[in-house]
Amino acid sequence: MIIGNFRIELEPRLSSPKWLYLAVPAGSLVFAFIVGGIFLALTGHSPIGTYGSLISHGYTSSKGITNTLGLATPLICTGLAAAFAFRMNLFNIGEEGQMYLGMIGSAWAGIALAGHLPHVLAVPTVLIIGAATGAFWVLLPAILRAKLGTSEIVSTLLLNYVALNLVNYFIYGSRGFFRDPTTSFPQGRGVEETARFHSFGTSNTYPTVIIAVLLAVALYWFMKRSNFGYETSVFADSPNTARYAGMNATKLTLSVLLFSGALAGLAGAMYVVGPAGKVDPGLLQIGLGYAGIVVAALARYNFVAVVLTAILFAGLRVGGASLQISSNPVPIAIAVVLQGSVLLFALGGEIFRRNRLRIRRVQQVSVAS
Amino acid sequence: MNSNVWILTFADAISIATTLILATIGAILTERSGVINLGVEGILLMGAVTAFLVGDGTHNLWLALFMSVLVGVAMATVHAILTITLRANQIVAGLALVIFGTGLSQYIGKPVEGKSRPVTIEPMHLGKLSDIPVVGPILFGHDIFTYLTWAGALVCSLYLNRTRPGLVLRATGDAPATVDAQGVSVAMVRFVHTILGGALMGLAGGWFMLARGTAWSQAATTNGIGWIALSLVVFAAWRPLRAIAGAVLFGFTLQVPYTLQGQQINILPPEIVQMLPFVATLFVLVALSTPRARKLLGAPKMLGQPFVRDER
Repeated sequence: MIIGNFRIELEPRLSSPKWLYLAVPAGSLVFAFIVGGIFLALTGHSPIGTYGSLISHGYTSSKGITNTLGLATPLICTGLAAAFAFRMNLFNIGEEGQMYLGMIGSAWAGIALAGHLPHVLAVPTVLIIGAATGAFWVLLPAILRAKLGTSEIVSTLLLNYVALNLVNYFIYGSRGFFRDPTTSFPQGRGVEETARFHSFGTSNTYPTVIIAVLLAVALYWFMKRSNFGYETSVFADSPNTARYAGMNATKLTLSVLLFSGALAGLAGAMYVVGPAGKVDPGLLQIGLGYAGIVVAALARYNFVAVVLTAILFAGLRVGGASLQISSNPVPIAIAVVLQGSVLLFALGGEIFRRNRLRIRRVQQVSVAS
Repeated sequence: MNSNVWILTFADAISIATTLILATIGAILTERSGVINLGVEGILLMGAVTAFLVGDGTHNLWLALFMSVLVGVAMATVHAILTITLRANQIVAGLALVIFGTGLSQYIGKPVEGKSRPVTIEPMHLGKLSDIPVVGPILFGHDIFTYLTWAGALVCSLYLNRTRPGLVLRATGDAPATVDAQGVSVAMVRFVHTILGGALMGLAGGWFMLARGTAWSQAATTNGIGWIALSLVVFAAWRPLRAIAGAVLFGFTLQVPYTLQGQQINILPPEIVQMLPFVATLFVLVALSTPRARKLLGAPKMLGQPFVRDER
């Protein structure tokens, strides 16, 4: 492109310098806050004051950071779920629904099984069953993708709406197993006490946060070291190479998608053993599944980066929620606007990581008269 | 049961189909150029909230719809810059648009949440035609946009199949290198059609709000219609005229839950009936995935692939 006397060119980099891996997301965050600030100012809120309050309620106060870690716990799981599938160029965008199913499955286990088990077994059982039901929800899209090549993007997404209505049905539409029988108020039936973790002190952070972080580290290590991790990365780079090397594409696709679904299901299960203790339609309002996709994309599918990004995003959400209770309430949706903008800027910024921007002066060729 | 109710359901299905047709044609134009824009749901929501807010402020129907179109154009431009100029991943960029549009529509729509719609797109009365029993209400009781949309689908079909720019568009989706070799800018063709598609999606959202929506509510307004439109693109095999038939069919599944509820027919709980459009869409996707169906469909070959001349 030539503007005036300058030629602007993008030169592909052979390798990106390390600092750019941090600079691009950090820059995106700054630009996203500027965009959010414009909308805040247009709707009559002070951007500086709003962001100050958001940061203190989300990150820097002790109440804020523990709330943030509590919310980040399931978000780390949905982020890992999205990142895991992305690694093989599979786009599971049904984390939202898989998480709901995980909540339903784990609540079932917490009500029906946990009473017969000691505490040390009850919580793991509930978590595992939650993960399994999450995986179950991605089974159909996974089979379709592996056997027929149907795009998993739309099929996983459509099932989100089915799962959403399923939760509504269990709580509002029927007086069945998941509904609290002791009250006419529509709410979930509580799971057994043995199936629940106690939070740390009086905070809203639960021991599940440790599980989530350990899981991220374990996945990071596993995908780097194992044969399975190697095969998925070969398959992602070049499906044909993988096929010629005798790797089983069907099996890989199935296992990656099912495991991704299990991770999303685990997010729902962690919500049950932690703060909720029942099938809680409140989860439908938070959008942790969709946010997980943004987290994964922003973390560039790096499992350890997912943890940090999830904490960052949970803080936006927690801080955003606090803004609603003030004299001039700011809708919590500002958190979602910020999330979307961060991702848009990060996507745009990628090109500057992969390419070097060169601006050269063009030599004016003057035609002799 | 009253047969009138089912006539009205059919009529409503055809009416709802308008928004699906507009969004689907928008997506078809985009995808034919080789760009996949998953942001439909986000653009629909932004179009809807814009129409509501502008309508609320000015009570001017045309201005409201015009602004919806502009918002659609703006969002599609973002997608085009990201995916065509900056070569970002098209899937992720589309998802980012959905999240951004969901958040922003909820944010700017918060003050009017639950307020009933300020201006209405009224159905036309076509004299004697509308009075014909059965056929009248089903075919001749809609608003002007429904008919314009049908005409638009026809124009779009002619454009794709009978004109030179249409040929270039199809070639851009199938073999961008050839188009490039002919001296036509692939990026320009993609930019124009992505933005044109966004304009139609924005209009789809605005129309839906002012013709079908009763009150603004972020959670209940489009409610997944954008994703259904994306499935419809496959169902229509990337052909605008087939989108009409598909849209009416899907419009029917969207309308039936309301009819059943209104008639207090409780064969199934309402939450289960609400799943119908999504389950039906999924079934159609599955049916279209068999190798035989796939061959007949003919998706643009380079769909989702950025075009870089240097790397060839």
